[in-house]
Amino acid sequence: MTAWIDAGCIFIVFFALAILATYRIVGMIHIFALQSFVLGCVPFFLHAEALSARVIAIAIVTIVFKGILVPYILLWAIRHVSIRSEVKPFIGFGLSIILGSLLIAGAFWVSLSLQLPGKAVSNLVLPCSLSTVLLGFMIMVTRTRAVTQVLGYMIMENGIFLFALLLFDGMPTLIEMGILLDIFVAVFIMAIIINHINEEFERAPVAESRSETGESF
Amino acid sequence: MLIGIFLILIHWLFVFLLAPLFVGLVVKVKAFFAGKKGPSVFQPYFDLVKLSRKQCIYSQTTSWVFRAAPVVALASVFVVSLEIPLGILKAPLQFSGDILLLAYLLALSRFFMIASALDTGLSLEGAGASREAFFSCLSELALFMNFITLACLTQSISLSEMIGVNILIPWNLDPVLLLVVASFFIVLLAENCRIPVDDPDTHLELTMIHEVMILDHSGVDLAYMHYASAVKLFLFSGILVMILIIPFQTGNPVKDMLIFLTGMLGLAVLVGVIESSMARLRLNRVRNLLLIAFALAFFGFVITIWRG
Repeated sequence: MTAWIDAGCIFIVFFALAILATYRIVGMIHIFALQSFVLGCVPFFLHAEALSARVIAIAIVTIVFKGILVPYILLWAIRHVSIRSEVKPFIGFGLSIILGSLLIAGAFWVSLSLQLPGKAVSNLVLPCSLSTVLLGFMIMVTRTRAVTQVLGYMIMENGIFLFALLLFDGMPTLIEMGILLDIFVAVFIMAIIINHINEEFERAPVAESRSETGESF
Repeated sequence: MLIGIFLILIHWLFVFLLAPLFVGLVVKVKAFFAGKKGPSVFQPYFDLVKLSRKQCIYSQTTSWVFRAAPVVALASVFVVSLEIPLGILKAPLQFSGDILLLAYLLALSRFFMIASALDTGLSLEGAGASREAFFSCLSELALFMNFITLACLTQSISLSEMIGVNILIPWNLDPVLLLVVASFFIVLLAENCRIPVDDPDTHLELTMIHEVMILDHSGVDLAYMHYASAVKLFLFSGILVMILIIPFQTGNPVKDMLIFLTGMLGLAVLVGVIESSMARLRLNRVRNLLLIAFALAFFGFVITIWRG
């Protein structure tokens, strides 16, 4: 089972890296959906010997919320706003990939000196969750569009969720559900805001110049 | 001594008889996906025979470099093939650090190819040479990162021990090896000019990398070039398949050989499927693909180091 958890963790980091190298926003959203799906499967492997209703509920809610609903809302936002689908990074893709791999190395190095309480099922979960958080953070700060920043935020949240799985036993279900709902609402609101920003700009005469300098979306 | 020579001959026979078949299989898969019947899988052999019966024509502006390149290309893959264990055939040439020899022999043949392309004085070949030089820099980075990761995993720097039949590292769906396999697959596609990087079929000079560099070669020289690139593809696939089949070793020579050949067949189909389902990447995006390959291998390296 440990090998499956390890593989899941590595896939999550790999998808974060792949998002860093993707040119199209739609492609980013699809990879994010895949990442969330893998993330949703990890609890099954983590608690394979004692599969409780709670584990199944968490896994299914994660897959449905993050793997299906959030990508759907983001895709809907993109379709409605009819924004151009290229990602515009502050730093180039090649540099992003190299910096991303350095961040991963940093996360692994930091995790060497982190000792967590509780049983360690797979020791890859901690460094991989840290790497995912860092990569999500990097996507947030280096990609200029509103949608990509939402995506970066979601990837960061995926990393935090992976981290939370380590402390699964000490965390009440209600809080987990609350967090998931918060995220869902946050993405929903962001999608609506993106939509409205666009409508405002369509009416505003400064739309052209704004998109040159402001990089709102 | 005699047995050693015999083993070398068997190794060469195996590689050089099967290599064109591998290319033929890829072409066949591509034809199947395009809804065509396609040429026979033995077509590359016929092409080689046809080319070797033709006369070589040399431009007056070329020097000996141009004539040396096909020979060097074929000779270097001849030597490289001795270092790679294939199925139950152990590598006849193995010593500590032979991965460096492998990488640099390939680099040597590439250097001569680039030099011969520049020697013709044709601007298109110069463009192809420049691209080849740039992409091979990046793919070499990823290749070495893969080798370093494998060396850390197996605690040895000889290719035969890193991927060989005698070493059974606890695979167990070890995710590090998944990363190495994925990264090495991208390197394979890039080094052998397959589709996301270069199109082996196109004859549009502006987009070609490898094909444009051999535009001026003809006759036996062209046959050498084609043969060398087919063998190179076969050898890279051999390394990849050897990494993949480590957990399926049974100890029975016949079964192991069948597993290896099945693996090669599967890889040929996979390359064909990728070639038919993907478009060539834009040239400035190839760089990112190769950097991704490097990042994957680096990630595997970090995990290996981290586990201690």
